[in-house]
Amino acid sequence: MTIFLQATVEGLSLAAIYSLVAIGFVLIYKSMDVLSFAQPALAVVGAGIISSLAVDRGIPFWLALILGIFLTGVLSLIIERTFLRPMVGEPVFSVAILTIGIDILLRTVLDSWIGINPRYLGDPFPTFGNFGAINVGGVNLKFLELTALVTAILIILILSVFFKRSKYGVAMRATSFDQEAALAQGINVGRIFGLAWFIAGILAAFAGFFITGGFNTLGQFSFLIALRALPAVVIGGLDSIPGAVVGSIIIGLTQGYVAYYQIPFENLIGFSLGSGFSLLAPYLIMFVILIFRPDGLFGTEEVERV
Amino acid sequence: MRGRPNLYTDYNKESAIFSNNTQKSWFLIMVAFSFSLCFIASEYWIYLLTSSFLMSIAAWGLNIVSGFAGQINLAHGFFVGIGTYTSAVLGGIAGANVVGFELDMLLWLPLAGISAAIVGLIIAPITVRLKGLNLGLVTLALVFIGSHLFSNFKSLTGGAGLGRKVARLKLFGIDLENGYQIGDYFLEKNQILYLLSLTLCILCGLGIKNLVRSRAGRAYSAIRDGDIAAEAIGINIFRYKASAFALSSFFGGISGAMFFTVSGGVEPGTFNLLYSIVFVAIVVIGGAGTVLGPLFGAFFYTMFPAIIQLLLHVFEIGEQSLPLNLGQIERILFGLFIISFLIFEPRGLWGIWFRLRNYFKAWPFSY
Repeated sequence: MTIFLQATVEGLSLAAIYSLVAIGFVLIYKSMDVLSFAQPALAVVGAGIISSLAVDRGIPFWLALILGIFLTGVLSLIIERTFLRPMVGEPVFSVAILTIGIDILLRTVLDSWIGINPRYLGDPFPTFGNFGAINVGGVNLKFLELTALVTAILIILILSVFFKRSKYGVAMRATSFDQEAALAQGINVGRIFGLAWFIAGILAAFAGFFITGGFNTLGQFSFLIALRALPAVVIGGLDSIPGAVVGSIIIGLTQGYVAYYQIPFENLIGFSLGSGFSLLAPYLIMFVILIFRPDGLFGTEEVERV
Repeated sequence: MRGRPNLYTDYNKESAIFSNNTQKSWFLIMVAFSFSLCFIASEYWIYLLTSSFLMSIAAWGLNIVSGFAGQINLAHGFFVGIGTYTSAVLGGIAGANVVGFELDMLLWLPLAGISAAIVGLIIAPITVRLKGLNLGLVTLALVFIGSHLFSNFKSLTGGAGLGRKVARLKLFGIDLENGYQIGDYFLEKNQILYLLSLTLCILCGLGIKNLVRSRAGRAYSAIRDGDIAAEAIGINIFRYKASAFALSSFFGGISGAMFFTVSGGVEPGTFNLLYSIVFVAIVVIGGAGTVLGPLFGAFFYTMFPAIIQLLLHVFEIGEQSLPLNLGQIERILFGLFIISFLIFEPRGLWGIWFRLRNYFKAWPFSY
């Protein structure tokens, strides 16, 4: 039972991280029909900015965190303005490949900055409790993971209020519904694109911090964790924010349970699934779900006309 | 129709592989030149050219599915990997912990392509049902599933970090691993590889050109331009999408089987996400949906590290004085090329070539 609870907690905290990245994906997809493969790169770049501010420049950590997250949002905005804006109306395939190009650019620069040794973010989380964790009834709770969970829930709440109540939130919903009609109503669609990328960048930076904070450290392969938000988005449906959250929970919990129950399961079935199978499980689930529901669990079915 | 190269009097002439004698003679000149390069060029350039030929075979494969049939495929490297390991198992030497059968190249080369094609067909029920971005994401999953499998089937692949030797070069029972003596002339292994790759490249290129004008090629274009419309005029979507994937994997498999014989060994970590993206980038940079595009793209991709080195040498810039190392500069430029080609020249290098050619067609008139 302890193992089960431990796996659940770790799965949920992963789900929180994934949902932050996943919501960014969905926001961008809904606002301008672009699937941004640059999102995982933005997450690690955010972590890199925080690390360089807090550790290299010696700025107090909490200030560096806020500044880093904001700067990542601005970077995301710049990317949208320079690279994505000329591509409005181009085939989705081309734009997706373009974001892969952006991803290569961002990560190459980041990797050369990281160098060989992984970077710390200079956050105080490892100093809380017993090396950043407390023990509740045999379950090891990491403060960083708990914070990720709470932050994700808060952000989702804030975003849902933002989309319901605020002027720009409503404008974003209108734009995702019909760009031309929104334009005709006086909504500055270009600004909405920028806003979507800005929010997505901020969410990515939050996720980047939770991925690499504490003892996790920022390395050259950290982005692979953020990349696993992609299956979450696909499971939930590319154009559904609740779907992204549900998908993230499915992916996170699967990963948590597989990590803890793989070896007993392998003993049961008699052959090895291979090391690191828990990292593969999200992609397998996505595969299976897409066979049955090509538009994801919550995605709207695309109506095509000849 | 002498003097009127653009006047076609029947359909066969219009869809001929070489539309006029000029093209045919240029093709023959290029082929003869390429074969002769084998005896002129230095070892380094032979290596680069061999890689380019093999890369363009793989890129042609991806071009079938992405360029002609319009289906996103981010997992081309996975199929290349399947071909590589099939050939390595069939043609390689058994080691302490890997299997190998030391078969002839006549067997392992086609079988490498066929096994990759079979894998392409196996996943066809999934890939055919999906389209657009969802397809791209599923193929992305395939990359990760593939690299997991490659690192875990240790008896076939040697395992992550260790790798294995690839297939031995044995053709018609003759072992070519240490070169081959023809009369007075001694052919080195890299020259043999060059000649084999060039031959394969020419055959595949002509094959692609032929495919485009065949029933299947027209069906692919129809599916790309509008799959519902294609279905409405009686094209069997399932059959053609599946066959596009299978054919594309076949090319990838063949290319992979040959590609790693150049270096002699292969490690499962090679077939990662970036490896697959390289092929997409080659097709995009070269020009998707064209026959020559992937060839241009592959040459560009393989040559441009050499070009950068040459430039650094010409301008006498020391590698140490740069803030980034050469590999990083290459990757940054690679990313920039993907972005700038998509924004400024979506038809890729082929588009530039096309405009140049048309410009000189009526030269000195600009219209």
